[in-house]
Amino acid sequence: MKGYKKYYTKKIIWYVITLVIAVILNFLLPRLMPGDPVSAIAARTAVGMTSQTAIQKVYEDYVKAFGIDKPIYVQFFNYITNALKGNFGVSFIYYPRTVSDILARSIWWTVCLQLPAIIVGWLLGNILGAVAAYIKGAWDKAVLPVFLFLSNMPAFGMAIILQFFFAVYLKWFPASLGYGYDMIPNLSLKFIGSIIYHYQLPFWSIVLITIGGQAIGMRSMSIYELNADYVKYSRFLGIKDRKIVKYVFRNAMLPQITGLALSLGTMVGGALVAEMIFSYPGLGTTLLSAITGRDYPVISACTLIITIMVLIANLIVEILYGFIDPRIKAAQQE
Amino acid sequence: MNNLLKQVFRSSRFTIGFVIFIIMFITIIFYPLFVRDDPLAMIGGLFNKPGTYISVSDVLNTDYIDLKIDTSAAKLKSISIEDRQSMADWLVKFGNIKKSEININDIAALVKLWNENYSAAAAQTGLLYAEKQQYIRLNNQINKLINSGDQYIATKDDNGQLVEKDPVSPRAFVNSKDIINKKTFVLGTDNFGRDVLTELVAATGTSLKIGLVAGTIATFIGLLLGLLAGYVGGTLDDFILFITNLFTVIPSFILLVLISFSVGQSARGVMLTASIIGLTSWPWTARSVRSQVISLRNRDHVNLSKLSGHSLHKIIFTDILPYVASYVVMAFILQISSGILSEAQLSMLGLGPATTKVSTLGLMMNWAMQYKAPIAGAWWAFLPVILAITLISFSLNLMNTGLDQVFNPQLRD
Amino acid sequence: MGKIILKVNNLNTKYITRQRENIFAVNDVSLEIEEGKSLGIAGESGCGKSTLALSLMGYYFAPLHYISGDIIIDGKNISGMKPDDVRKQILGNEIAYIPQSAMNALNPTQKIISLIEDVIHAHNPKAAKKDIYDLAKERFELLGLPSEVLQKHPVELSGGMKQRTVIAISTILSPKVLIADEPSSALDVTSQKMVIKMLKSLMQKGLIKSMIFITHELPLLYNVTDDIMVMYAGQIVEKGTAREMVFDPMHPYSKGLMGSIIVPEAGSKNRKLIAIPGTPPNLKHPPEGCRFAERCRYVKPECKMNGVPLKKFGEGRMYRCICSIEELKEAYGDE
Ligand SMILES: Nc1ncnc2c1ncn2[C@@H]1O[C@H](COP(=O)(O)OP(=O)(O)OP(=O)(O)O)[C@@H](O)[C@H]1O
Ligand SMILES: [Mg+2]
Repeated sequence: MKGYKKYYTKKIIWYVITLVIAVILNFLLPRLMPGDPVSAIAARTAVGMTSQTAIQKVYEDYVKAFGIDKPIYVQFFNYITNALKGNFGVSFIYYPRTVSDILARSIWWTVCLQLPAIIVGWLLGNILGAVAAYIKGAWDKAVLPVFLFLSNMPAFGMAIILQFFFAVYLKWFPASLGYGYDMIPNLSLKFIGSIIYHYQLPFWSIVLITIGGQAIGMRSMSIYELNADYVKYSRFLGIKDRKIVKYVFRNAMLPQITGLALSLGTMVGGALVAEMIFSYPGLGTTLLSAITGRDYPVISACTLIITIMVLIANLIVEILYGFIDPRIKAAQQE
Repeated sequence: MNNLLKQVFRSSRFTIGFVIFIIMFITIIFYPLFVRDDPLAMIGGLFNKPGTYISVSDVLNTDYIDLKIDTSAAKLKSISIEDRQSMADWLVKFGNIKKSEININDIAALVKLWNENYSAAAAQTGLLYAEKQQYIRLNNQINKLINSGDQYIATKDDNGQLVEKDPVSPRAFVNSKDIINKKTFVLGTDNFGRDVLTELVAATGTSLKIGLVAGTIATFIGLLLGLLAGYVGGTLDDFILFITNLFTVIPSFILLVLISFSVGQSARGVMLTASIIGLTSWPWTARSVRSQVISLRNRDHVNLSKLSGHSLHKIIFTDILPYVASYVVMAFILQISSGILSEAQLSMLGLGPATTKVSTLGLMMNWAMQYKAPIAGAWWAFLPVILAITLISFSLNLMNTGLDQVFNPQLRD
Repeated sequence: MGKIILKVNNLNTKYITRQRENIFAVNDVSLEIEEGKSLGIAGESGCGKSTLALSLMGYYFAPLHYISGDIIIDGKNISGMKPDDVRKQILGNEIAYIPQSAMNALNPTQKIISLIEDVIHAHNPKAAKKDIYDLAKERFELLGLPSEVLQKHPVELSGGMKQRTVIAISTILSPKVLIADEPSSALDVTSQKMVIKMLKSLMQKGLIKSMIFITHELPLLYNVTDDIMVMYAGQIVEKGTAREMVFDPMHPYSKGLMGSIIVPEAGSKNRKLIAIPGTPPNLKHPPEGCRFAERCRYVKPECKMNGVPLKKFGEGRMYRCICSIEELKEAYGDE
């Protein structure tokens, strides 16, 4: 038990450090770049009356709240205190809505879309990969190139193809948005139905993309494990194949979990772009419109929040992993 | 070396991937030799369908030949299914025709029945006035289609009056070979009226270049850090490993967005985009090189070299690099394909190369999305692009797994 | 003379490779082991020792295939049985195997006790967990292993401990025959001694009725097994008691093997015999005549003509050479 504690404390400390660095990067990167959107904002407030008064006021508020014209360490201090309070300023394009107000909604859309989609894709991919490795032969030969092709299709490509085929061509599902455009969010059955109806295409496009890569990884992991020495030894002991297959898949699955943690960042990036395709009301679409509108406060908050979400997901995966894989525990006791 | 090549090509995966890649590569190189148009020239209209377009004016100025082809049947085909259905309804209700006698797919027969039976003056009990009007309009439309007489080419005379020049009979045809101005858009045109195929070939070339540059940068940094961390070990290793782990969990996509947005539109050329991608994607390579080097570090030949007092760079170049070379090549291949993908994703966000001089696969996607090509049904503006991206990365990955099988035989199934 | 536990008559088996080539790795092997006795098998790497072990167990899973011959364990002929039936009825409880590389033989994510449960359940599905635990604990203590090992995962055990744990697991059902395939070659000297001591005590305590000990170091077998058999290129070339084989080897190959120094070649798991020049024949196309002829110092033209039968001499000794004992003795005497 002691080993576990040490392991988790270490992990959590590591993630906290990573978080701090991610926050610093999020703060520093824009300010170090030659184009520097932040000084551009400061400059705009100085220009005075050239822009409309209202916009001018938004900028000035932002400059004041975040001390953009002050030295960089003061800025950082302001940034941190504001971020801790959940204050990311006011959106430039959706004035007077605050950034936290905008993001508070889109986060849930993104979490509810991506979390289940990635988990389902991961599970299905692993099952298919394991089955392919176990059955071998013609089935494997036919299915593998499909997985390979799928896994090489960009997430947005899958999203567009599904959108075009099922929404525009067959008209089975809506082409965009998270619920009917004529509806007001409430808890009626009709509204929930509409959400589920709009959920399908974005969900399946992420699932399909995830399946390909996971299936390939699981397949080669399983093949590797099937040839491991302990498989032979277990047979020598007279243990049944069904039992041995269980060992093999469990062991092959474990690296897949770490693999998930490692590739989560990439997956989320792809899924965000897929969200945009469907104008799904999540972070991806918010980010896109912020970039198009050069809405710096929203962009900065979006990147920070996505990073934090990925870090949290990673931490959870690693904690789960520590519970399942005894090798981690042993490594800790050395 | 020769032997290795032979072994590599014996892997069917590698060979298939290689062939696909080479075909694309050859197309990129040779296509511009045959089609010399500027890939970004706007020659067509908004989302023109794939096909051959011929100049109408050329058609008018070319000698006609009368062919005895019945063109009216083809004309009638333009009557929509809904119209045919309502014709059939009318005939059943008011024309005393049995339902079984009507086949809305045989339009010629249907029109014949219609002409024999329809009369606007008939008592159409139960029909609203608007509906009656509708039928009259439909009847007129059909008659127009049937009787459309000769059409005339007219020119303006000195007074600005239209003067008939030539009748055009429905049976007049021109030989398409006589038409000088024609243009084939194999894959149609995009939202700017550019030829998608020509643009696609050029864009694939640019994207490949981006992938190569990004891949080279990432592989170089990853290799360097991996070698140092793995071989030197100690605090340096801890430090590099920490940085590497850091950048594997912080999504590189987010860094890309932050940096690309911050450098600003004006500075973001193709090469800069490629460099940014390269600078954010090295952690994978560093990781795998490091673990390879660590497993090599205590091999006998390396120890021997150390004992013989060889210098650090000599050991790295002669005793370590050759052994990690296969991994580095594989990592490089993967970096190319992920670089191409990253560019596409960035461009879709509007953070790709800001240029109007060249096109990239990502920019093509971005334009197609901004002009709502999927909703407009203009599949030719995005499907070929997606396919190109997928094929490049598919072929590179096939080569990669092929190499993996050769270098790690226990994966061979 | 004791009861015969394992009897093998003219066993032939082969591997069929992916390229559909045949590798005749066990050729016309016959042997007998009495109750309470142990047999050592020696021979250089690739001569088919491990393959012989698998074949003895009736473990015919691809790419290994049975060709002909009988394997009789305690009066029961298993050579005609389906591999799956063999696994259910024979492996683990009649005949047990300790693999060459015990390091990776244990499933890394399973506790030792759980593996033992699986082994016992494979042969006796109704066994209660509690009984299994008691049995395992008793057995581990009997063999001088701490019972805490049962609750551990393989990664938590040292190499020597892992090897001894594997031995304890393999023999948990008190099999009639134990085949130990180079159980000590990857270990340091102390662990090697412990392993050998443990195997001997298994015999003494009657937990196993007989043992086959495989190694490529003939001298190691002295003091460990009662009889020794030397293999070359899939065939038995000589057999006798340990004493006779170590102090008075007859076949030129045994002679060489006895005198050879074995050095591990750096960086490879294959070891080379230095004293005998040349390499063993390719088992895809074994030579017509004596398989050792190519490397034999005393080779005659006739050697390469016809296959050589196994000849008997002395008390139950056998050797495979066209020369008579006298000729051989004379040849050796020259030196
Ligand atoms: N799975 C296999 N497929 C094909 N050939 C094999 C296979 N395993 C072993 N062989 C071949 O069978 C022959 C005998 O191999 P075996 O493993 O029995 O040798 P060994 O005497 O146990 O050697 P070592 O001392 O190295 O363990 C060798 O020539 C080897 O190449
Ligand atoms: Mg062996």
